[in-house]
Amino acid sequence: MKSNNNSNNTTDISNAEKATQVLVKLHDIKKIFYTDDVETHALNNINLTINKGEYLSITGPSGCGKSTLLSLLGLLDTSSSGSYTLAGHNVSDLNRDERAAIRNKEIGFIFQAFNLISDLTVAENVELPLTYRSDINTKQRAAMVNTALAKVDMLHRAHHFPSQLSGGQQQRVAVARAISAKPSIILADEPTGNLDSKNAQIVMALLDQLHQEGATICMVTHDPRSAARAERMIEVFDGKIVADQLTETPTAIAV
Amino acid sequence: MSITLDIKYAARLLYKKPIFTALTVFIVAIGLGLTLYTYSLLSNLVFKPLLLNKDTPIISIEAEFNHSHLSRRSVDAFDFLTIRNEMDSIDEFGVYEEGIALVGKSQQNSGTRKYNSVRVEWNVFDFSGVKPIMGRALKAEDHFDGAEPVVVLGYDIWQHYFLAQDDIVDSIILVNAIATRVVGIMPAGFSFPTVAQLWKPIEQNMLTPTERSRSWLFAYARLKKDQSFNIFKQELSALNKRIANNIPDNMRWRINEKGGYLRAVPYKIANITHYYSLFITMAVVVVLILLLACINVGNLLLARVNERFKEVAIRVALGVPRKRLILQMLLESIFICTVGGFLAVLFAGWGLELSNTVFEQMYRVTENKPFWWQVSLDTDAIILLILSVIAMIAITGFIPAWRALSGDFNAVLRDGTRGSQGKKFARASQLLVISEILLSCVVLVIATILLSSSYFAGQADYGVETNNRITATIELPEGSYPIRQEEEFELADTLKRTAFYYDLKDTLEQMPNIEGVAFMSHFPGTGAGASFFEIEGRVAAVYNENPYSNNEVVSRDAWSAIGMRVIQGRDFNQSDISAEIDTIIINESIANDFFPDGDAVGQRVRRAFRNGDREGGWQTIVGVVSDTYHGSAMRTSSEQYSSYFMLDNIGYSWIDIAIHYNGSQALAEKSLQQAINQVNSNATAYHMQSYDELISQPMILVSAISKVFLLCGVIAIFLAASGIYAVAANSISQRTQEIGVRRALGASDSIIMQLFMRKAVWQLLIGLSIGITLSLWVVNRMTDTMVINQGSYMVGLIVIPLLIIIMVLVATYVPTRKIVLMEPSDALHHD
Repeated sequence: MKSNNNSNNTTDISNAEKATQVLVKLHDIKKIFYTDDVETHALNNINLTINKGEYLSITGPSGCGKSTLLSLLGLLDTSSSGSYTLAGHNVSDLNRDERAAIRNKEIGFIFQAFNLISDLTVAENVELPLTYRSDINTKQRAAMVNTALAKVDMLHRAHHFPSQLSGGQQQRVAVARAISAKPSIILADEPTGNLDSKNAQIVMALLDQLHQEGATICMVTHDPRSAARAERMIEVFDGKIVADQLTETPTAIAV
Repeated sequence: MSITLDIKYAARLLYKKPIFTALTVFIVAIGLGLTLYTYSLLSNLVFKPLLLNKDTPIISIEAEFNHSHLSRRSVDAFDFLTIRNEMDSIDEFGVYEEGIALVGKSQQNSGTRKYNSVRVEWNVFDFSGVKPIMGRALKAEDHFDGAEPVVVLGYDIWQHYFLAQDDIVDSIILVNAIATRVVGIMPAGFSFPTVAQLWKPIEQNMLTPTERSRSWLFAYARLKKDQSFNIFKQELSALNKRIANNIPDNMRWRINEKGGYLRAVPYKIANITHYYSLFITMAVVVVLILLLACINVGNLLLARVNERFKEVAIRVALGVPRKRLILQMLLESIFICTVGGFLAVLFAGWGLELSNTVFEQMYRVTENKPFWWQVSLDTDAIILLILSVIAMIAITGFIPAWRALSGDFNAVLRDGTRGSQGKKFARASQLLVISEILLSCVVLVIATILLSSSYFAGQADYGVETNNRITATIELPEGSYPIRQEEEFELADTLKRTAFYYDLKDTLEQMPNIEGVAFMSHFPGTGAGASFFEIEGRVAAVYNENPYSNNEVVSRDAWSAIGMRVIQGRDFNQSDISAEIDTIIINESIANDFFPDGDAVGQRVRRAFRNGDREGGWQTIVGVVSDTYHGSAMRTSSEQYSSYFMLDNIGYSWIDIAIHYNGSQALAEKSLQQAINQVNSNATAYHMQSYDELISQPMILVSAISKVFLLCGVIAIFLAASGIYAVAANSISQRTQEIGVRRALGASDSIIMQLFMRKAVWQLLIGLSIGITLSLWVVNRMTDTMVINQGSYMVGLIVIPLLIIIMVLVATYVPTRKIVLMEPSDALHHD
C-alpha cells in the first residue's frame, strides 16, 4: 500500500502526467458554519484532486467533515472560501441554476437513505434527472432509463413504487438514477449504510462494475471493507485530509 | 398519574409556543363564537317554535307570500270561516287584522298618538295564555253589532300616554276619534300577535261572514296535540284547490299565478319569509366558517405533530400504548377548544347585544319589532356550544392523531429524519388545501356579493332630493273623516279628507322654515305597488304581456318638494277633480320607451289585471315627470316605470308626507306637529324621520346581516390566508427532502418552483370551480330576498377568485422559495 501523508494535504498522485486526466480539483477549500455567533470550521484548507476514472473513498469518524466534503464536491453546498474546478471548469462561483445544471450533467448521487421519491415509480425516479434536460427527447430518455435499470437488474420492477421494494432494491434503483444521465462522477454517501450485508455486497459490486466501465466514483463510508474496495482512500479528521493513500489491491467485500 | 404527566407536558408545549397557542385559541373562538351567535339568532328569530305558555307550537295561516312585493298576503274572512268549520285538526284558532290606531284622551283637542293596534278575536288572550293585569280580557259579546266599542290597552300606552292613570279601566278614550271604553290592561312586554299595543274586538261579520269580501285577515292557530303539521298542510292544500276552483272571478286576485292561496307556516317563519333565505345563507356561511376553522386548527396541530414526529417516534419505540398516544395528541386540542369555547361565549354574547341594538334601530320609527325579536344565549345554545367543542376536539385532534399513528417510526428513528411523505398524507394535504380554497371561496363570494349589493343599493339614485327633507305618515281619524258608501256622499267625504291634506300643506308652506310639501302614497325609495297597464291602441292579447309600472297617489304641486320635475305637459290641477276625464301622470321612462316621439301627453292608458278587471277605465296622460325609483333597491319588484294618480279623487285616510325645510330637522318636525294641531289636532303624524332614514329602513336588516357577512368575510380571509398558507407551507415543508433530492439531481430553482406552482394551480382550479358553482347556487337562493346587481356578481366572481388565486400562489411560492433557497445538502438532511 502506497501512502502519502504530507503536511499540506496535497497528494502525490496529482502529478504532471495525470494533469490532463484531472476531473476534480479542490484548492484551499474551507467551510465554516455559523450558529448563534459560534463558528464551526467543518472543513479547513482542503486540497484534493480526483482524476477521471478514479475510485476513491473518503473515511473518517462521525462529524469529521466527510459528508460536508461530499456535499461540496456534489455542488450541494458552497464553500466559504477556496476554489473548485470540475472537468476543467471553475465551479466555485456559479450561480444556483448553473450549479444545478452541472449537477444534472456531471454528477450522479447515491445516498445512504436512497432518497427515491415515493410518489414516482422506479422508472420515473430513474428518469427524473433526465427530465431536467432539454437535449434529451422522450424516446432517448426511455432508452436511457431502460439501460440504467438493466444495468442494476431492476428493469422488471420499473413500474413499481419505491415502497414496494426492499432496501437493497431501492438502492439499486438509486444507483440506476445516478448513472442514467452518464455523469462524469458518481458521489456515494454511505451507499451501504442502510443495507444488510448481502444487499451491501450487491451494491458494492455494482459500483465496482461501474468503475471498471470507466466511471469516476467518490464514496463516503464508515466501513473499512467498503473503503478498501476503492483504489484510493482519503481519511478526514477534524475537517482536514489527514491521509490520502492508494490501496494496493482493491478487494471484494466478503459476504 | 401518567395522565397528569401528559397534561403537564401538553400545557408546557402550549406555553412554549405562545403565538401558536393564541392563534389556535383565537381561530377556535371565532369559529365557535360565530356558530353560537348564528344559532342563537336563528333559533330566537326563526326556528324555535313560538309556544307562548303552552306546549304546542303556534302556526300562522295566511295567503301565499307575495315574492314580487315581498309582502305577506291576507285571507278572506269567508275562507277562514271554512277552515274554522271544516278542519278538525285545529285545536285553537283566531283571526286578526293588524293596523294602527290614533289614540286620544276623551277631552276635546287633547291631541292623538299613533299606536299599533290589532282588531282581533276575543280568544287572543286565552290563546296566548296571558291575562290582563287590570280589568278584563275581550269577550265574545264585544264582537256583536251594536256592542259598546271597547279596547284592551298595552302596558306602554297605559304607562306613557295615560301616565299610569289608576282609574283607566272603564274610562272612555278616543280610538280613531271613536269613544271607546278601556276594559283591560295587558302586562308589560305582551304584544301578540306581533307588535300590538292595543287590542280591539274585530267585527262579528269578520268571524261569521256570509259572503266573500276584500277583508284583510290573518290567523293564529294551534293544532291538536296528536296532529302532524305536514298532514295539516296537506289538508289545507286540498281545501285550497277546492277554493281555487270555486272562487268567483272578481275574487280570483286572491289566488296567485301558480294557483296558490292558503298556507300554514310556523309562526316565526311567517314573519320573516322574505328574509328566510338570507338567514339560511347566513347559517350555511357560518357552518362553512366553522369547518374552515376546524381545518385550520387541525392543520396547525398537524404541523405541530410533524415538528414532534421524532418525539412521537421515540415514544412509540418506548412502547406508548396507542390509546395513550391518541390521548396525548388530543390533549392540546382539548385545551385549545375548551378555552376557545369560553371565549366564544363572550364573542357570541357581544354579537347578540349588538343585534338587539340593530333591531331596536330598525324598528325605532315604526315600532314594528316582533315581540320575540330579543336575542340571547339560552340553554340550548350552551348545549350546542358544548357539543361543538366536543366535535371540534374530535375533528382537530383526529387529524394529528392519525398522522402520529400512521408514520414510519422505524425510518424516523433510523434516518434521524421524518422520512418521506406518504402518499396518503400527501393526498390529505392536497385535500386540505382544496377544502380551504373551496370553503373560503364560497364564504367570500357570498359575503362580497351581499355586501356589494347592499352597498350599491345604499348608493342607488332614487331620482329625488333627500337632503333637508323629512317624511312622516299622516293619519286621519276615521271617526272624524268617514267615507260614506252612498254615492251622494262619497265625493264630498273624499274631498273633506283631501281638504285636510291641502290645508296642512298650505299651513306648512306659510311657515318660514318650510320650502315645500308633497303627499304621496309611497315616496320614491319605498312602496312599489305595481300592476300592468295597457296603452290605448296597443293592448297586448294577454294582460301580463303589457308593461308593468308602480302606481302611486300624489297630491297637486308635489314634485318640486322632493326634487322631481314636470318634463312634459302639466301637473294635476283643480280641473282634474271629479272631471269627466280621468287623468294620470307617467314618468319619463314610460314616455321615452312607449311614446318616443314625445307625444305621450294626451294618450290614454289603463290598469290591467289577471281577472280581466280594467279598474278605473281609460286615463288620459296629462304630464310626464322625471324618473324616480320606487321601492327599496333591495326589492325585486322595483320597476323603472311609475304612474301617478291624483290624491284628490281617492281620499286616503292616511298618506305619506315629505317636507322640504330649511334650518334644523327638529324645527321642521315641530312645525309639522304645530300645523296638524292647527288644522285638526285629532290627526296624527307618525313614522317621522329624515328622507334618508326612510330609504334606509327596508335595508337595515339586510345591511346588518351584510355586516355579519362582512365579519364572516374578514374572518374567512384571515382563516383562508392563514390556513392556506399553513396547509401549503406544512405540505411543502414535508417535501423538503424531496426538494433536496430533486435539486441534487440537477433540478433548477425554476423547475422546482414550477412543480409546486403547477400543483397549486390545479388545486386552485378544482377548489375554485367547485367553490364558485356552490356560491352561485347559494346566491341564487337569495334572489327572492334582494336584488343582486350585476356589479356585485362582477366583484364576487372576479375579485374574490383573484384574491384567492393570489393567496394560494403566494402561500405556495413563499414556503417553496424558502426551501429552494436552502442548500440542497441542508434540504437533504432537513429534520
